[in-house]
Amino acid sequence: MFCCPYMWRSGGEDLQGFYPVRPECQSDVPRTRFKSRAGKTLSARRWHAAFTEDGHLDMEKVLRRIQRGGIHPSIKGAVWEFLSGCYDPDSTFDERTKLRNQRREQYGAWKEECKNMVPVVGSGKYITMAVVSENGQPIEDSSVENQGWVVKTAVTDERILQWMLSLHQIGLDVARTDRYLSFYENDINQSKLWDVLAVYTWLNLDIGYVQGMNDICSPMIILFEDEADAFWCFERVMRRLRENFRATATSMGVQTQLGVLSQVIKTVDPRLHQHLEDLDGGEYLFAIRMLMVLFRREFSFLDALYLWELMWAMEYNPNMFATYEELENRNNNAADDPKLLKRYGKFERKYVNSGKNERHSNTIAVFVVASVLQTKNKRLLKEAKGLDDVVQILGDIAGNLDAKKACKEALKIHEKFLKKANRQ
Amino acid sequence: MGAYRAEDDYDYLFKVVLTGDSGVGKSNLLSRFTRNDFSNDSRATIGVEFATRSIQCDDKIVKAQIWDTAGQERYRAITSAYYRGAVGALLVYDVTRHVTFENVERWLKELRDHTDANIVIMLVGNKADLRHLRAISTEDAKGFAERENTFFMETSALEALNVENAFTEVLTEIYRVVSKKALEAGDDPTTALPKGQTINVGGRDDISAVKKPGCCSA
Repeated sequence: MFCCPYMWRSGGEDLQGFYPVRPECQSDVPRTRFKSRAGKTLSARRWHAAFTEDGHLDMEKVLRRIQRGGIHPSIKGAVWEFLSGCYDPDSTFDERTKLRNQRREQYGAWKEECKNMVPVVGSGKYITMAVVSENGQPIEDSSVENQGWVVKTAVTDERILQWMLSLHQIGLDVARTDRYLSFYENDINQSKLWDVLAVYTWLNLDIGYVQGMNDICSPMIILFEDEADAFWCFERVMRRLRENFRATATSMGVQTQLGVLSQVIKTVDPRLHQHLEDLDGGEYLFAIRMLMVLFRREFSFLDALYLWELMWAMEYNPNMFATYEELENRNNNAADDPKLLKRYGKFERKYVNSGKNERHSNTIAVFVVASVLQTKNKRLLKEAKGLDDVVQILGDIAGNLDAKKACKEALKIHEKFLKKANRQ
Repeated sequence: MGAYRAEDDYDYLFKVVLTGDSGVGKSNLLSRFTRNDFSNDSRATIGVEFATRSIQCDDKIVKAQIWDTAGQERYRAITSAYYRGAVGALLVYDVTRHVTFENVERWLKELRDHTDANIVIMLVGNKADLRHLRAISTEDAKGFAERENTFFMETSALEALNVENAFTEVLTEIYRVVSKKALEAGDDPTTALPKGQTINVGGRDDISAVKKPGCCSA
């Protein structure tokens, strides 16, 4: 996997080979800008050297690298497990192996539960036609499309019904998730994505399955060979995203983030905010997709992953693992301890430093959107005469954004925002 | 100035929305109409996307601003916000999936709850190329459209069948209503309705002019 030193130094390594695109789709996808850079990108060699003999990880060093130049594709999955809070860098190899095995078993049990309700789960196939009606009656003519399986008796359990109603929607979306990647030419990989989303939905019925989760989950299926590992990384990443997907008849969770975005723009660029408000865009609904699927549609596959790991490194909080596992936090007084502070990502550090509560809903993604708006500030002010123009101008960023630059700008805007907000 | 400015030479701007269940082909209908493009690998629409295209009606240029919405019910709080100001709608179902036709009634209510009473609506049965998988007959859908006073057409975004017709029909009808209304008011429609302003189809009195049902089909 790891290529020759000469190629490495020249930066000419063909990273596209890690996530090949189907030849007939080459022209449909944005070009990839990410390059692995010696001295900046976290390489496999650096990564392995960051562990002590028993497996403790020097997260500070790792974070510094990632924030400078991302992660080499050969080790992405392994590093993401720490960035997403799956594992504690302060644990040993043995402890992590034990935890991994427990989690694989747990996932297996959940999947079995789902399989007992709908045997298509885990069969290497998936469902694309509704299997029950909203009142729980079986839909028999779905049989052919659904691999010969049908619900035989009316479903009366409300939770099971809710879950079953989402299965074909997941299937419809899986069938059109990242189809330009050769990876998904293989039906088994598609059904793996369906299985993980189906199990996740079963465990999260309060939110359920919402379109866009497939875009978040797809990279995990590609990065992790073991389906259970993919599930857990997805589950952890969703901890910070899931509220966006919460939908009621009158609102969607992501609107909370849009509200923050509105506050940010109003604070750092009042003229632009006013202009958008005049165009009836003060709700910033046009930014929904960027926040829901974390810029998956604006970047090539590899560049989106690069952006994600930059954002997660910047948002990294050493208490994340403990919080997710519902353990007691160890680093409570980070603001007074410069050594502890270094273990936070750049973005998160600012909050801790400013004495703000660590549990804030402001994610760096909001500030990345703000930075995108700022780069288009002139055109938006001058050319946008309606919301359609706004959408069009922002649409032009597809394939033209630099992930690193966008994050750097996001940090600047964040700082400016904190300063101004503190003054008020 | 961006290149897209050149297209902005128009007499009328009509806002049109695409609605209907998930996976019925709304985005591909839009890309077929605006870019003559169809993608087997198109992805689920998140929230709302849009595209424009101008067509000629009489000697006037009509620019359609078409908003494409996510099909999943969960997105309805967001997508319905975009219905406001729409003067036309294509309500799409998939002729091979019965459920998507059953839900048309719900979409229709949604549209009527959120838009002007005079909105021009066309029921569109897409994927007509999948003849061997058809689950909804043309007659059934036509009958429904007649009862509901909407236009109706069957299309195939894949084979570019009737896509042009469907959009043009809706736009022409809106144009007819608008110019008739302006004429009645004794105004020259061009000057009465300044450029860049989205047009409302007008008061309840011209309902009959708007909803001539089922004028054409596949």
